Amino acid sequence: MFWTWAVITVAGVLVGIYAPSRLMPRSMSDNMHLTILTMIVFTVAAAPVAAGVYAAALHALRHWTHKGDEVPAAGPAVRENATVVTTWLLVSTLLTVFLLIWGLGALAVDNGSTGKNPLVIDVTGQQWVWSFSYPGTHVQSDQLYLPVNREVEFRVTSEDVTHGFWIANMGVQVDANVGTITTIHTTPDKLGTFDIRCTQFCGLNHAFMVTEGHVLTSSQFTSWLASQPQRA
Amino acid sequence: MTTTLEATKTAAIPQGGGLHRRLNMLTAMIGGALFAWIFWFLAHHFLDPTSRTYSDEVTVSLTFGWIVGFWLGIGAFNAPFQWLVGRDNTRDDDLYLAGQGQGKAKYWKFTTDHKVVGVQYIIMTMVLLGAGGILAMAIRTELIIPGNHFVNQQVYNGFVAVHGMLMILALIVAVAGPWGNFVMPIMCGARDMAFPRLNALSLWTLVGAAALLLTTLAVGSLTMGWVVLEPIADQAGVGMDFFAMAIIVFTVSTTVASVNVICTALTMRTKGMTLARLPIFVWGVIIAAALGLYAFPFFSLVEVLTMVDRTFSTSFFIASGGGTGWLQANLFWLMGHPEVYVILLPSVAALFEISAVMARKPVFSYRTAIAGMTGLAGLSILVWAHHMFTTGWAPTLGGPFMLTTELISIPTGLFFLVLIGTLWRGNIWMKLPTVWMFGFIANFIIAGITGIYLSDIPIDNQLHGTMFVTAHFHYVFVGSVLFGAVSALAFWFPKVTGRFLNEYMGRISFWLTFIGVQVTFIAMFLSGLRGMPRRYSSYAMIFEHTNFITTIGAYMIMAGMLVLLGAVITSWNKGEPAGPNPWHANSLEWMVPTPVPLENFDVLPVITEDPYNYGEELVRS
Repeated sequence: MFWTWAVITVAGVLVGIYAPSRLMPRSMSDNMHLTILTMIVFTVAAAPVAAGVYAAALHALRHWTHKGDEVPAAGPAVRENATVVTTWLLVSTLLTVFLLIWGLGALAVDNGSTGKNPLVIDVTGQQWVWSFSYPGTHVQSDQLYLPVNREVEFRVTSEDVTHGFWIANMGVQVDANVGTITTIHTTPDKLGTFDIRCTQFCGLNHAFMVTEGHVLTSSQFTSWLASQPQRA
Repeated sequence: MTTTLEATKTAAIPQGGGLHRRLNMLTAMIGGALFAWIFWFLAHHFLDPTSRTYSDEVTVSLTFGWIVGFWLGIGAFNAPFQWLVGRDNTRDDDLYLAGQGQGKAKYWKFTTDHKVVGVQYIIMTMVLLGAGGILAMAIRTELIIPGNHFVNQQVYNGFVAVHGMLMILALIVAVAGPWGNFVMPIMCGARDMAFPRLNALSLWTLVGAAALLLTTLAVGSLTMGWVVLEPIADQAGVGMDFFAMAIIVFTVSTTVASVNVICTALTMRTKGMTLARLPIFVWGVIIAAALGLYAFPFFSLVEVLTMVDRTFSTSFFIASGGGTGWLQANLFWLMGHPEVYVILLPSVAALFEISAVMARKPVFSYRTAIAGMTGLAGLSILVWAHHMFTTGWAPTLGGPFMLTTELISIPTGLFFLVLIGTLWRGNIWMKLPTVWMFGFIANFIIAGITGIYLSDIPIDNQLHGTMFVTAHFHYVFVGSVLFGAVSALAFWFPKVTGRFLNEYMGRISFWLTFIGVQVTFIAMFLSGLRGMPRRYSSYAMIFEHTNFITTIGAYMIMAGMLVLLGAVITSWNKGEPAGPNPWHANSLEWMVPTPVPLENFDVLPVITEDPYNYGEELVRS
């Protein structure tokens, strides 16, 4: 049983270390790095627990099963085992406390404003398009442009029904609600293109409420902003 | 002294019954249709057709007429009416109501015998699962390749909404319905449920609600997903009114059923059946019923307010009128999260029971099992806002709700301890119920761990609203609850029919379903991780492979379920005879003959110990 457990644990740990960054969209922000790191930590922590259950179940299947139609003899009438119950409770509580401390710590730094002159962008959802405007500039676009390494504050709202504003490469997701502005922060740290998808069911063309975003260098961003037509 | 049981042997076909003799499901449908028409006619003539909410007003009126007529047509009001005019049921009437001497016809009637209601629930669950399953196949067929090729988005969105709600209803009753009614009273040593007529009422109310829910597909115009989000639901057509009425009626059914289950287990136990000697399954059903009693009123409330918004132009949930969709979301999830455990607990409790019988050992740490179930039920009412981490509502509550949510892994962990502990060093009899139980263990650990990721806000900000969530809760519902439900079906099937569920077909079904679940939902996890949102009718090319694999896996699950259906149908009348106690178990339902006679016991038994003593010397450690 030990070896079964060890093999499954090692497999789980390897999956935990290698899978998240390869399976998930390319990380382009501080939030996304944290998300992937948390995925790794949680998977590694969960691997020995899951392996324990699998190993015990497999062991039972291998050694303690009784086939055929006759009734098996009675098993040992163990009703209680204080040591096992206490240990189990203690271990699961400690693991939960660990996950909690990690989670609350990560939450404290995730999506929190650093207060260092964030670039404010107004995000508006409506069935079934996104639009972005850059306060103070009269620029409005249907694709999102961000400068690299500068904190962004998204102020998200909706014109009709609830939409979900999600940058799949940045671990940023918040609903666009009618009549309310919700904010979320992130700092893009990689250049490139990313997808924005709607994650809140919004009717007929929900699946097609997709747009692209671009992370530019700050000089590219400035010239892009200057090249845009100014809305009155 | 003549017991009721002896009386029933002599009086084969009771003379009573009165009006009940003429009423059955057909008259209920006719009554429903007639009253729906009358209510529609009245609304149509007396309401202002220029009103913006006219079509909703007419539809609400019609659906209300349906359920009133359905109740009248099935005979739900007969007994109260007789009581009202001072004429109580005679003994013959009661025997007729209990289904005496009517052959199979009693299954289509307002029958009070808890065993008949149990069988009706089995059929009901299979019908709901079948309808929901066909919709699931339609959804997966649409998603087998990108683009809209099978149904259009409008139809697809309706399918998603109705698939979700049908499956939720089916799983709420999948274990607690059949076995909470058929075996639970016998396990307690009761002659029937505490309120036999309410028992029949809860079943037939569910049938009426399911009919309304299925009608939504015919009238279309569902645009809001199964969680009925506002304000999107306000854009939906009259299908939404059918949907809301179906839910309101359904909550009547669950409330009546929950009260009945709790009263039966608490007040109808036979002499010596102390709470500490109750079979663990009864505990699971009590806790789930109590939790349902807390949760489902929120469901009713949210649909009543939705309906009022739609018909009287109020704006509880409409931002433009001063309301907020967040109120709807809060109320919905105050119901929605406890509801998951209303679904899960009976399944888990049935597996505790089955593991003890099959491993020939007592339930390991009976008290831990109860503590785990109670702890889970208690915590589940404090976690609802984790469904709203990304909505923007009350960001400061993120931490507290993350705390309560992660604490849930402690009582859930106890379930594994009890199950593994019971199997430990046992002589595990590998029959059909045991096979499906091992499937549950394998799937439930995946369901649990993926839930922990989602409880963590930084991860949830990435994965919320994606197929990862969909895959997670399908591991809970299909991989875990359904496996527990099939295990329970295989375990108690001999008590219902006197025959074993076909072992060979049952195992083929198991492997198809088990492999199907892994293929379907692991691929779905990958879709979600790679960034595919939920409720998509089409998707980008990068999600092509994982979706194709998911669809193939879904077809496998359907094949497995069809084999299971075949096994149930062929085994019901032609299966291998099983005798009254095929598993050599000790709880009371196996001590009575099969088929179980009316009122179960000739003489009520007296209980001196719990049902888990398999003859070996008690080991203390």
